[in-house]
Amino acid sequence: MKIKQALLSAFAFVILFTSCNNDDSPKLPLGDYENGILVSNEGPFGNGTGTISFISKDSSVVHNTIYKLENAEDLGNIVQSIGFDESRAYIVANNSQKISIVNRYTFKKLGAVTEGLANPRYFVVANGKGYVTNWGDTADSTDDYVAIINLETYQLDGKISVVLGPERIVVKGNKVYVAHKGAYGQNNVISVINTDTDTVEKTITVGDVPNSMLFDASGSLWVLAGGKPSYTKDETKGVLTKINTSSNTVDATFEFATTEHPKHLSLGNNELYYALGSGVYKMALSGDALPTTAHLSDVSFYTMTVSEGKLYGTDAKDYASKGDLNIYDLTTKKKTKTLSVGIIPGGIYFN
Amino acid sequence: MRHSKNILFVLLVIYAVQLRAQKDSAIVLDEVILSDAKLLHFSNGKRITVLSDSILQRNNASLTDLLKYNSTIYFKEYGYGMTSTVSFRGTNSSQTAVIWNGINVNSQLTGQTDFNTIMPQNFGSVVVRSGGGGVQYGSGAVGGTIHLKDKFSFQNHFNTNVGLSYGSYNTKRYNYNASKGSKNTYASIGADYIVSDNDYKYLGTDRKNENGNFENISIRANGGYLLNKFNLIKFYHTTFVGDRNFSGTLTAPSDDTYKVLNSRNLVEWSNFNTHRITRLKFAYLFEKYNYFPNKNRSEFSFGNTKNFIINYDYKYSFDAITLNGILEFNTVKAEGESIQEAKRDQFSGTLLFLHTLNNGFSYGVNLRKEIVSDYKSPFLISVDGKYKISSDYTINLNVSKNYRIPTFNDLYWIGAGARGNKDVLPESSWQAEIGQTLESKKFTLGTTVYYIISNDLISWRPDDKGIWRAINIKDVTNYGLEATFEFTHNWSNSSLKWNNQYAFVRSVDNETKKQLIYVPKHNVTSGIGYQYKKWEVYKQLLFTSSIYTTTDNSEKLSGYVVANLGVNRSFNLKNAINCVASIQINNLFNKNYQNVAYRPMPNRNFTLKLIFKL
Repeated sequence: MKIKQALLSAFAFVILFTSCNNDDSPKLPLGDYENGILVSNEGPFGNGTGTISFISKDSSVVHNTIYKLENAEDLGNIVQSIGFDESRAYIVANNSQKISIVNRYTFKKLGAVTEGLANPRYFVVANGKGYVTNWGDTADSTDDYVAIINLETYQLDGKISVVLGPERIVVKGNKVYVAHKGAYGQNNVISVINTDTDTVEKTITVGDVPNSMLFDASGSLWVLAGGKPSYTKDETKGVLTKINTSSNTVDATFEFATTEHPKHLSLGNNELYYALGSGVYKMALSGDALPTTAHLSDVSFYTMTVSEGKLYGTDAKDYASKGDLNIYDLTTKKKTKTLSVGIIPGGIYFN
Repeated sequence: MRHSKNILFVLLVIYAVQLRAQKDSAIVLDEVILSDAKLLHFSNGKRITVLSDSILQRNNASLTDLLKYNSTIYFKEYGYGMTSTVSFRGTNSSQTAVIWNGINVNSQLTGQTDFNTIMPQNFGSVVVRSGGGGVQYGSGAVGGTIHLKDKFSFQNHFNTNVGLSYGSYNTKRYNYNASKGSKNTYASIGADYIVSDNDYKYLGTDRKNENGNFENISIRANGGYLLNKFNLIKFYHTTFVGDRNFSGTLTAPSDDTYKVLNSRNLVEWSNFNTHRITRLKFAYLFEKYNYFPNKNRSEFSFGNTKNFIINYDYKYSFDAITLNGILEFNTVKAEGESIQEAKRDQFSGTLLFLHTLNNGFSYGVNLRKEIVSDYKSPFLISVDGKYKISSDYTINLNVSKNYRIPTFNDLYWIGAGARGNKDVLPESSWQAEIGQTLESKKFTLGTTVYYIISNDLISWRPDDKGIWRAINIKDVTNYGLEATFEFTHNWSNSSLKWNNQYAFVRSVDNETKKQLIYVPKHNVTSGIGYQYKKWEVYKQLLFTSSIYTTTDNSEKLSGYVVANLGVNRSFNLKNAINCVASIQINNLFNKNYQNVAYRPMPNRNFTLKLIFKL
């Protein structure tokens, strides 16, 4: 017995000793996945799992399937999006009705929300709480809601009933703004939720099918609506709307032609970027009209975003093989890099 | 111009066969009672595998189970008992046609057959015909055709067969078959019912197959009446009603329910003598589905098709030549949640020619042209030959052009984010195969090599507005080798049967040079049965090599070996009643395997069966 104990303590000592040695560096990195880009890949439609790819800041290193690598389990089917707070990432898998919570830099699992979700879409943290848009049952156009998640227990803390098809969700102060794209149908409003009372304070009408939105430095909310597609037999034009977030009223609207359906609104260097047809267009925040010529042409992205003078756009290829992340220099308009990521890359995030 | 050329071809067909019409004499009953005579006469260059009654008894819950262990066709099962589609010789799931008593019954909506909606024991025999059969059987007969045939017998008899079975996952099955015949009448009915909780354990996890329960019923009624020495009327009917929940996957739960109703009806009148047979057929096929995305709610989407066929078939034999002309009019109506009323009229002319020479050589030339209301149909041709070099050695070869027509979904679908495309073309393919068979009293050894080039394969992809549409996008080359080895030996009170099949398949996307997804390179099935007096023991084995699940071949499912073991004992009861009691162990090695990614198949399970023959 004694010998065994002695051996065990010796063993423990060796482990401690080596661990100390490893932790010797002057500045502790937050994790393997700090300082880089995260790409959420939806995964194959119908069955299988979505994945997360990590790309180092200089895009020299690509790690695919990092969640599985760190946690030896799958994220679930159709990884729709990732939400973040300072230390955590919230990965939303809609068919699996699940949100996996990880340390955003180590990607070690912290917990999961598995109850109370019904086709979850996007996640934000506001006022110390998590807010998730949910389509509810897709056959029911009146059961859509925003779920409130307790960030200590990862349990559902309540539901805020909203109109059809809540999709993107962004936060400013104690307000969250929900764009109602319309689930399998179409809708045209932004819900403003007060996170102190957890009630819908106001709805603002925008263009049909709002697909992306962001805040500029002055605090205005820009909403890009794609318009109803032609197959609805009621095709409508895309609309870019600027919303004053103090009064929550519409400041300005920019209308596209009826057959134009823009998407992927991004902001970089005080300029708005969006995709339309086979081009990417650029418009100054102070601009008073929509641009007529494309900044980049002959491109088509499954999703795109801009950051620090670069455009990141994904190619889902045939939707049944690994997609690419393409990086363009917005000044030279040249493609500078193509990186292989996961199946149907649908979200790009900067860690 | 184009139309007048087509009509000219059809008229030529009629003329060619009528030309040789001559007077009659004796009966060729054996042939006219066959429901699918083309299979007998115009499959010269093909490998035909008939699955015997004893094999039908073993795996008979679904056509999937039967063929999985007795052919080298690959099955994609979305969970046991759920939707099941095939890859035959590496072709896609719309490129295998299921032929019910000579009629192509692939779904008009999807172009495919769900092999779990066919209960094979309700049919007299199941035949696998490898390779193209577009001229004879129409759309989708590219990789091969599966034939379901009812048998007729104009002999005095009365047989009844009752089967009861119980197995793991609370699976209950009852079936009843009865047939009665006399010199000039025949009637037969059958019913097959299966219900299962299907909640098998997902091996390697603490979870079960949720929402996978199903309940299926299949009924059948056939009748024949011999009016006189020259005229026969036959009637065929079968209905399948399936009520299945769709099981979830390893990563996502499911609440879906899927209900289908398929009804098939055929009336055939034959007028015949020694040299000629005239058949006039009327068929009515109905298919319907209701899909409930959430079984706890009342909303569902639906679709149905009604298909009416008139077929005139004239066959004439003289000396060593057999000539067969077929004219067919086919009208289909489809409607559904996502398909506004859509209609298709199709008129086709087929000419089949077979010449048998004295020296053991025979060859055939077969042609088909269609005029279709909503797409352009290619001219189909097949040329085949068979040479029996010696009594135990035969060589056969075949070259054919085949096609797969766009489905109603491909053409007319209108739904959220997806639309059919009226400009989509039929998929077309050229193929060649050569085979040899060495036969002796105890064994048969066969090998076939084939090569298929398929063009304009239809795929759904998003267009520049993000709307998913059907387009002709891919060209694929398939080639492969098939080998079969059968061994039979009979002793005085025992016998041994050993069947083995091996397939090597390459199915390559011409653009990316990658193997297509869900096509294993190697597939082996092996069945061995040993009978001693009233006992029988058998084992079935399936080996499938790994399969790619992504088109860039970056991900794959590992290969597997699955085996079943069974024991039968037959008893003679009172009043000449025979009873067979059997126990079968499925997935003997308790192998954790998937043939569709993230959808595990059942663990080791048992089936107990009693069959009474009166």
